[in-house]
Amino acid sequence: MEIFPALLSVITDPMLLFAIVLAAAVGMIVGATPGLTASAAIAMLLPITFYMSPLFALAFLYVIGKSGRYGGSIAAILFNTPGTAASAATQIDGYPLARAGKAGKAMKVATISSVIGDLMGDILLVVGVGFIAAIALKLGPPETFAIYFAAFVVIGSVIGKSIVKGLASALLGILVAMVGLDPISSEERYTFGSFDLSNGIGLVPLMIGVFVLGEVFAQLEERRKATGETKENESSADGNDLTWEEYKPCLPHAVRGGFIGAGIGLLPGLGSAIAAFISYGEGKRRAKNPEQWGNGALEGVAAPEAANNAVSGPSMAPLLTLGIPGSTIGAILLGVFLIHGIQVGPTLFLTDKELVYKLFACGMLGIFAYGLIGYFGATQVARLILKIPTNVLYPLIFMTAFVAAYSARGSMFDVTVMTCAGFVGWLMRKYDFNIAAFVISFVLAKGAEETFRQSLLMSDGGALIFVERPIALAFLILGAGAIAFRIRGIMKERKLAQGGLGDA
Amino acid sequence: MKRRTLISAALAGIALVATATASFAADWPKRPINLVVPYKAGGGTDAYARAISAAAEGILDVPVVVVNKPGSGGLNGANSVVGARPDGYTMMMTSGGSFLLSTMTRDTDIDALDSFEFVAQVGKLQTSLMVPKDSPFQSVQDVIDAAKADPGSLRWAHSGRGGFHHVGGLGFLANNGIEAQDVPFKGGGPTRAALIGSQADFGFLGVQQLAGFEDQLRALAVNSQERDGIMKDVPAFGELGIPFAAVSSPVIVFAPKGTPAEVVAAMETALEQIAAKPEFAELLASRGTGPVYQNGADAKATLSSMKEDAAPLVESLTN
Repeated sequence: MEIFPALLSVITDPMLLFAIVLAAAVGMIVGATPGLTASAAIAMLLPITFYMSPLFALAFLYVIGKSGRYGGSIAAILFNTPGTAASAATQIDGYPLARAGKAGKAMKVATISSVIGDLMGDILLVVGVGFIAAIALKLGPPETFAIYFAAFVVIGSVIGKSIVKGLASALLGILVAMVGLDPISSEERYTFGSFDLSNGIGLVPLMIGVFVLGEVFAQLEERRKATGETKENESSADGNDLTWEEYKPCLPHAVRGGFIGAGIGLLPGLGSAIAAFISYGEGKRRAKNPEQWGNGALEGVAAPEAANNAVSGPSMAPLLTLGIPGSTIGAILLGVFLIHGIQVGPTLFLTDKELVYKLFACGMLGIFAYGLIGYFGATQVARLILKIPTNVLYPLIFMTAFVAAYSARGSMFDVTVMTCAGFVGWLMRKYDFNIAAFVISFVLAKGAEETFRQSLLMSDGGALIFVERPIALAFLILGAGAIAFRIRGIMKERKLAQGGLGDA
Repeated sequence: MKRRTLISAALAGIALVATATASFAADWPKRPINLVVPYKAGGGTDAYARAISAAAEGILDVPVVVVNKPGSGGLNGANSVVGARPDGYTMMMTSGGSFLLSTMTRDTDIDALDSFEFVAQVGKLQTSLMVPKDSPFQSVQDVIDAAKADPGSLRWAHSGRGGFHHVGGLGFLANNGIEAQDVPFKGGGPTRAALIGSQADFGFLGVQQLAGFEDQLRALAVNSQERDGIMKDVPAFGELGIPFAAVSSPVIVFAPKGTPAEVVAAMETALEQIAAKPEFAELLASRGTGPVYQNGADAKATLSSMKEDAAPLVESLTN
């Protein structure tokens, strides 16, 4: 087990430990701030990590991702606004608990469940990743394309409220990804003769624009409308403590959530939000007290929180072994690996095995770090966030966005890209398009096209190459299965709606 | 009177500027030197730049800062340097072969031979013919025979069309009268991974890519007359008597046109001393490359002759 020596060497490095604790705190604050997500924070902090050693940089960003996923639950429980999309499911039961004066209790359940889920995900990753890497070396373009295909289909099928708008967002992402050089023939596409566009649209400026600037614009608009003050609910002393008797019924939900999250994390393209909602739905279905869910059941906090954090570890598997980023955070981490000259993909476990396991070790320590900070300090973090006036916070974020977009490559063109992406992000939010689908399609489209065309070159243009290779075929069937499953789900929903049995 | 003061003041001003420029060249370097690398960090050329930066200590009084400006096959960074102030504080280190080829295949005003001052060459990247370890091909001749027996049946991998690995591979195929379908991957790492996984029958990739992967890959020949200075176990096309196109990639430092001759000369001397440092060689050895020094004039001659070799191949590529 390579993880134990890695853990030992990380524990004995005080600077690294400090970075982990700092990242845990930063991630939590960012996650808990409504409107700021961990991916946005990571995109903005990316330029700073150029000056760190690879392990430092990766561990720092990876832990921010983990603790940011958890931090979202704080805002969901206390302010009834999900800090991240992934914590929207936590809100369903978390806010009623806060209203009942049990905010502290709810946050402790969220913390413990997040830690359980995250640790389960990481342990499964550590145990399984070497095995996956060994297989990955045998996977060629046809297999990789089939995996991309499955990912695309699954994104399309779980895309949210409006399927049409979801698909439109994904298509827009693919279209933007086409700008630049053709991956096979190196000819220019959609560049309109512009030299800058021939490089394609950079992921970092696009993400900063869509996630950060878009959010700032949306907030600007909100402020003009002048909404009411978010106020904190008083909680009783009794509501702040959590006893083992109270957590006991939550445990099976947390463990189930952990497995659901880990499974979903393995498939590229799906994210924490989907895992959280599936786990919540599954938990409610199996619960002994389904009538309490939605009105403040502690189990209703445990199930989605465990799942949403369990995604973190396994989503690294396709990234590290195949170079397919499973999430926006993964896509940025991929960039960090490249900047430091580490080639992600099947050969990673031959060249930089030690680094990878040290990164996993840092992730595990990060879980404990945010667990401890969260268990004892979540309320203080929330107070801190309430104290920062938004008319200070958002201008500051606005400025940082420009600096970060410029400094990533030292390019003014990237700043232009970011600004345009900011407007796009704002409009997409305003008209209820799916931003996550847009970004993740942008990330996946390039690889999918490249592997598809490589496969066709290998087979002299014959499409049968995807069916002849068993692994490729398996993933194609998985994708088709996901479509069928989704269609069945839609039919069921329709029946329910017709019968007037509207059920959240 | 007033007019005269104005003129004399103007003259004095001009004189001041003139002396400033003259003494400026003599004072060089006073500020950190920005060395632009038009590729992502982590590649072969970037490794050279970082080794130069590390080994420059004690030879140059100022730090050498590596600035990565990737994109457009290396033209992005070149574009930013060609228009930079020619004061000796902005220079470019690039993979000469790839740079030359992208100026030939892309729509650009930059001419690899005329748009810059050649400072010096400090290294060399060479492409090579590799096969997976379990491949039936034991020698270059096996590959040629198999391709001749069933034309067009073989697949070969490279790191992107228009790059020097691709053109080198095309040269090998053309000179031996064989055909094979190319499968481009993005960069050297993915190409190597694909070859390890036997996704292609053979591949053209940097000979330094073999370092650390001797158990997964077999290098049949390096694309040059003589063996590589570092990867000495790999035979050369030249010694095997197999025709090839002499496409390699000298790692060259360029300065913007108009940089004072004294500054270029001073940097050339500094690079010669840096390249001779054992530290420099050590830093590169772990990446499978090593120092190959040539002065600016010789580097320009190398690149010119390569242009002649590559021209017919590039012609076939763009048509």
